[in-house]
Amino acid sequence: MTENVEVPKELDATIQSMDNRFHDIVTLDDRKSYTGYLVPVENLIDFATSIRDDLGYDYLSSVTGVDYFPEEKMEVVYHAYKTSGGGALVFKVQIPREKPEVPSLISVFPGSDFQEREAWDLLGIRFSGHPNLTRILMWEGFEGHPLRKDWKEPFFEEEKKPYKNRWPEGGVYRIEDEVPMGKNVKYPLGFDPQKWTPEEQTTFKEDMDSEAGDNGSNGSAMHTDQIVVNLGPQHPSTHGVFRMVARLDGETVVDLYPEMGYLHRNHEKIGERNTYIMNMPYTDRLDYISSMSNNLGYALAVESLMGIKPPERTEYIRVMMVELTRIVSHLWSIGFLLNDLGAFFTPALYAINERELILDIFEATAGSRMMCNYLRFGGISRDLPDGILETVRELVNERLPRKIDELDTYLTENEILRSRCIGVGVLSKEDAIAYSAAGPVLRASGVSYDVRRADPYSIYERFEFDVVVRYNGDVYDRYLVRMEEIRQSLRILHQVVRDIPEGEIQTGKALYQVRVPAGEAYGRVENPKGELGFYVVSNGKPNPWRYHIRAPSFINLTALGKMCKGEKVADVVAILGSIDIVLGETDR
Amino acid sequence: MPEDFLPIAVLIILATGLSFTILLLGQIFGPRRPNPRKGSPYESGMRPYGKGQRRVPIHYYLIAVLFILFDVEIIFILPWAVVLRDLGIFGLIEMGLFVAILLIGFVYAWKKGALEWD
Amino acid sequence: MDPALLVEWLVKSGVIIFLILTGFAYLTLFERRVLARIQVRIGPNRAGPLGLLQPLADGIKLLFKEEVIPDKADKVIFILAPVLTVIPAFVLLAVIPLGPEISILGRSYSLSLAGDVNVGVLYLLAVASISVYGIVLAGWSSNNKYALLGGLRSAAQMISYELVLGLAFIGPILLANSMSLKDIIQAQSRVWFIVLQPIGFLLFLVASIAEVNRAPFDMPEAEQELTAGYHVEYSGMKFALFFMAEYGKMIVVSFITASLFLGGYLGPFVDKLPLLGPIYLLVKVTLILFFMIWVRATWPRIRYDRLMALGWKVLLPIGLLNIIITAILVILVGGY
Repeated sequence: MTENVEVPKELDATIQSMDNRFHDIVTLDDRKSYTGYLVPVENLIDFATSIRDDLGYDYLSSVTGVDYFPEEKMEVVYHAYKTSGGGALVFKVQIPREKPEVPSLISVFPGSDFQEREAWDLLGIRFSGHPNLTRILMWEGFEGHPLRKDWKEPFFEEEKKPYKNRWPEGGVYRIEDEVPMGKNVKYPLGFDPQKWTPEEQTTFKEDMDSEAGDNGSNGSAMHTDQIVVNLGPQHPSTHGVFRMVARLDGETVVDLYPEMGYLHRNHEKIGERNTYIMNMPYTDRLDYISSMSNNLGYALAVESLMGIKPPERTEYIRVMMVELTRIVSHLWSIGFLLNDLGAFFTPALYAINERELILDIFEATAGSRMMCNYLRFGGISRDLPDGILETVRELVNERLPRKIDELDTYLTENEILRSRCIGVGVLSKEDAIAYSAAGPVLRASGVSYDVRRADPYSIYERFEFDVVVRYNGDVYDRYLVRMEEIRQSLRILHQVVRDIPEGEIQTGKALYQVRVPAGEAYGRVENPKGELGFYVVSNGKPNPWRYHIRAPSFINLTALGKMCKGEKVADVVAILGSIDIVLGETDR
Repeated sequence: MPEDFLPIAVLIILATGLSFTILLLGQIFGPRRPNPRKGSPYESGMRPYGKGQRRVPIHYYLIAVLFILFDVEIIFILPWAVVLRDLGIFGLIEMGLFVAILLIGFVYAWKKGALEWD
Repeated sequence: MDPALLVEWLVKSGVIIFLILTGFAYLTLFERRVLARIQVRIGPNRAGPLGLLQPLADGIKLLFKEEVIPDKADKVIFILAPVLTVIPAFVLLAVIPLGPEISILGRSYSLSLAGDVNVGVLYLLAVASISVYGIVLAGWSSNNKYALLGGLRSAAQMISYELVLGLAFIGPILLANSMSLKDIIQAQSRVWFIVLQPIGFLLFLVASIAEVNRAPFDMPEAEQELTAGYHVEYSGMKFALFFMAEYGKMIVVSFITASLFLGGYLGPFVDKLPLLGPIYLLVKVTLILFFMIWVRATWPRIRYDRLMALGWKVLLPIGLLNIIITAILVILVGGY
């Protein structure tokens, strides 16, 4: 955190007690513009257990690694929060680059499961004690760990230059025409991609080996086969190229395991090659339903590094756009949850009907309906066009409340919807926190945790709204949370369009090339899907040294297997729909 | 009156002929370029694990057995329904007994959990 | 045998097949247009006026598609399964009178192929069961897990709801004292059986929607979890046959519902102008089909275990109860 962001009092107290408790082992991270504590590797698990149990930091938001190549060391960065609210407790582990090995925190925070696998996959940090430390985003045959600074993408990346000049002779020629695929991938020795077939899913290996499957169903003497079924990647209801391997006993799911990475494009690597401003449109492609919120998360992180704040009018416009985005995303999610339950598109199309009106506003303001690329550091790309505020007013005060009530009337009390959703895919409060679930999934499980309230950013502390909580943690409650959050967003929007001031939209001059001082920052926003975090490390160069995304739909999937166990195969689709993933963000 | 069914035989022959004709048309007009990838079973784009044909959960079998039981019952009720007015009260009591016996079996199956899916 | 009779049979069979084929083609268009209207869309309207040539375009497209047979499939069964599924859809209509007797050139013709069969209802039940074979065999022979699960589901579902269907048939039989559909329709000349058998009608409606695997009971084809169920491996004309069977059965089931409960071809002035009969029947059938489409557009799918529970634990007891009450009333009141 930079100097202009105040440290909350509560955190101060924690720091005090921290200093007393771990006086001998923990050191303050005293690099300029860095925060948090450096924990020795051997004390990591003790430290994590202690902050969880004694200090109340029960929610591990983000786990990631940074490759400090020049200093020959790697760092694993953890961001822990209290579910009662407040700022982050950042702790870090530094390890030598040659042998990066850290004890896995999966026993303390099960939610670190996928994130540790991701760090292993992309950075090659080994988490000892992790039950299944395999690649998660890259494919198994991949060589190297692409986010390490000494890893160069073959063909495109060379020493010194972030990327090669694509038309060195001056004439434009596209390399994709020459090598449709292949040359920018480096294969292990003696590897023939034509002959390679992927290794079979290791999780259910034992079942596949013993095809006889001598696991008598329900312990009875009668003998039936359990079936291992792939749901995805080419499947109509996985919301994209997402794969679940399920073991079925008749209709019941015995075990389920999510598998992702089919849409992986190494967003973070691209981000580290780009300049800061070039990443803004890339964040649109994360959760492509809600590009405005993604912009905000990234802008917050970089603004915190730069130490600037946007002007008043811009703050209001940002909140307006982000809340409209939340409505868009929730409408989409509710519509397609119904689709997953087997309704033939009707609810989805009625929800999309309203979404289109909001996209019209985005188009008028940002120029694009989905990939808005609207926010800038310290501002926005352009002011609201004339008359659009009236459209928004009409929409949020007149039309949307009416339409939401209409959807509510038709859907919420529907007998089939209720019987399909109530009691299905239950995630208990404790599990939801432990698995680092975020957003509506967390709040449906009875945790009143909304970043907008718990750790306010932008100008959210000015607005009156309720954090929506439901307590059963099932699909129905997640649906209800989304439905109610649309209403709360409308409430915020109502205040925004009432109070929005005139004025500047940009702090300082709008620059193509921003100067970002060295340091680290973690910008997090309450995205419609959950907490979206951007961990950005700058070394003063034009492009970020480290650009990490805490993707809510990626981390929410950690709990998928647990939610699905013992449910019917038809419910798996509903549960997945209720988590509301977007593959662009899951796979990055 | 078996001769009443003769027209149905004509219809069945025509319908069968038509079905095969449709299949044949598809064979004639459609291209035919098989390859191993195309011939492999669809499993959401992954290589399938294990066999596609296997022993099925016992539950489907139970349902089938129960079905036979009750289908036979319905077959008995059908002719009874036609002649009920001639049989009068006697037929009613007879069928009441018959249904009652079956209901006992039904309740037994229900209590035994044959109708539950878990 | 009278050769004229054979010609008559051939013509009538041809008419029935034509009816199912065009009915199938235009039902798909009708469904798509109605669905689109319900969903604030427009629907296919490019091929021909009002999209009327759309079914033709679809048919031609399917005709030129490659037919893939999976390598490990049981080829003979794989090819036979769609045929086995589609034939019942054609054949069922044989016993349903499409109108009263009409006389042309001094000879009277009945507007049904075999409407005089005295066990018409039994015939319907028997033939309807056959299509289960086609679906199960398709699921089994595809050598595909989704197909297998879909086939099993539909087998269990269809036989479960066949019971309910059978029980719902008994009410009209009790009232009409006959299993011939001609007699059942004639018995409704004073009052339709939907009035006398409201519970039976509802049972029949639910069971018949389940029997033809339509939403919200479209378990075997549950797109969301089983991708397409038993016909996932089918392509080209074989897929078209399954499609034809589904829609053909929808049409036939509507005809049966109309005949059993809605007075079939009966309506005002039918005895004076017999040709009105088929028109009345078609209107009733269209209304029932519209209802089925409406249901599909509106409701999510019921989960499989609940579907089975509904069939066995709710509908079956109600069906039995309905028969007992009807029988007692028939005995007590005599005629109605």
